[in-house]
Amino acid sequence: MSFAKLILRRKTLLFAVGILLSLVVISIFSPYFVPYDPDALSLTDRLKAPSGAHFFGTDHFGRDIFSRTLVGTRVTFILGLSISAFALVFGVPLGVLSGYYDRVGMVIMRVIDALMAFPAIILALALMAIMGKPGMVNVIIAVGMVWAPRMVRVVYSSTLSLRENTYVEAARALGASSGRILVRHIAVNLLSPVIVQSTFTFAFSIMEVAALNFLGVGIPPYVPSWGGMMNEGRTYIIRAPWIIIFPGVFLALSVLSFNLLGDALRDRLDPRLRNIV
Amino acid sequence: MFSYIVRRAAGMVVSVLLVVTITFILMQLIPGDPASVLLGPNATPEQIAALNRTWGFDRPILVQFYKYFVNFLRGNLGESIFFRQPVLRIIGQRAETSVFLGIMALMVVVGLGIPAGVIAAVRPNSWVDTSLLLLALAGASIPSFWLGLMLMVVFAGKLHLLPSSGYTSVIATGNLANLKNLILPAFALGFVNAALVARTARSSMLDVLRADYITTAQAKGLRDSVVILKHALRNAAIPITTVISFTFASLVSGAVVTENVFALPGVGSLIVQSVLKRDYPTIQGIMLVVAVLYVVINFVTDLTYAFLDPRIRYR
Repeated sequence: MSFAKLILRRKTLLFAVGILLSLVVISIFSPYFVPYDPDALSLTDRLKAPSGAHFFGTDHFGRDIFSRTLVGTRVTFILGLSISAFALVFGVPLGVLSGYYDRVGMVIMRVIDALMAFPAIILALALMAIMGKPGMVNVIIAVGMVWAPRMVRVVYSSTLSLRENTYVEAARALGASSGRILVRHIAVNLLSPVIVQSTFTFAFSIMEVAALNFLGVGIPPYVPSWGGMMNEGRTYIIRAPWIIIFPGVFLALSVLSFNLLGDALRDRLDPRLRNIV
Repeated sequence: MFSYIVRRAAGMVVSVLLVVTITFILMQLIPGDPASVLLGPNATPEQIAALNRTWGFDRPILVQFYKYFVNFLRGNLGESIFFRQPVLRIIGQRAETSVFLGIMALMVVVGLGIPAGVIAAVRPNSWVDTSLLLLALAGASIPSFWLGLMLMVVFAGKLHLLPSSGYTSVIATGNLANLKNLILPAFALGFVNAALVARTARSSMLDVLRADYITTAQAKGLRDSVVILKHALRNAAIPITTVISFTFASLVSGAVVTENVFALPGVGSLIVQSVLKRDYPTIQGIMLVVAVLYVVINFVTDLTYAFLDPRIRYR
């Protein structure tokens, strides 16, 4: 790698981390410093273009887009974290067991492959319909069920190659139990692929959550969310495109920085993961 | 080759079985009595009894599964609550839009992705390469529905170049100009995947360009275009084809939202409508059709590889 490219890498990583940190700060503190109440209606300020008073303009109820976009960061991050956690809790144990025990793996991986035959948004939509109501928990389950199988796949492939290592053989020869090998020798080494995959899970899941909210089947419309704002702004898209532009830019920046972080972590932690994750 | 086909076909059958089983189990999770859920709130007792006969909802679960499976094999995916028509027929009516949208999006994917990747590989670290890398990153991070909305603002709202929404059947009216309505959606949908294909095309071309036979071809004095297009691209084709076949699932996912953005009467907007109306038979039917299609496409791609690259058959 040339020196210039290394600097470029560093810069993109710095950029990604910078954006992420600002978004984290925004998601924690925005309700305390945004200029307007994100839900305050103001009929005299309907569909105002971005200005000094309203940095990102206003929507059809006169609500401040800047305040709503910043506050929407919180719900996005809560959902992204919960969905990644959901994928971890189900994906890691299932993946390890499938990778370590061939018979278990044969059954579980078949089911996982079949689950992955349903395109992400279709599975999530069907699960939302089955669970009946829009809501945070239901969104976490629906989108989590989409990403957990992908986590299983990654953990499974990594376990398959890890268990062939000489140190696993040595541990077995020394009489270590399967449980001990799984925890002390395999699970520990799964950390890098799991961290990398979680970063990508976060990126994809917030995009999918936004799509669900955009379609009106995610979280209830009274919670400000980027997807929900874009859905509400559709009617006024030609007259007031800023209702859609700004939440979209925030969403794209979040996804972009998580993707950059994931790429960087992958190259840093273990370049061989390129073929798996 | 024959034994390879048989092995893969058996795998495909197992996958289809599992897909059917998963949809069956999912539909069991809907709270409430299945017959009344499927018929909606206005069902008469006679209708409920008739539905119980066809699907066996009043029988043990294994009998239900058996009936479900037999109905699936006969192409009976149930009747839509909302449209009061067989689900398969409704999907058929909506298929044209989605298929044309998919084909046009695929043209964007291949037409933009492969040339971009090849150019970037031939001139690594040039401005073309760097901007491609940036575009690919952006493509992977921009939600397709947002891109669709932005294209709508610019090309339909400001420039008035292309229609912003709706689509009338080309097959029914014979008017090819209707395809204009699919240009913006196809671009919104294809762009993300084009970025992915470009990245793969770039890296597999870079690998191939280092091979000895490329040096030989250059040493023979062949023109660059011949070396790149004939010797390199052909050998880089397999990974590129893989990524293109992966794009099916992502195109379907994207189409669900894109059809909704551009008010296109396709299968994607049908499933969203059905979710909002709690039309479970339609949701289930679309899940089945899409997943089975996915399994079949995977099967065909695998066979294509085995045909293109004999080494695969012996793995």
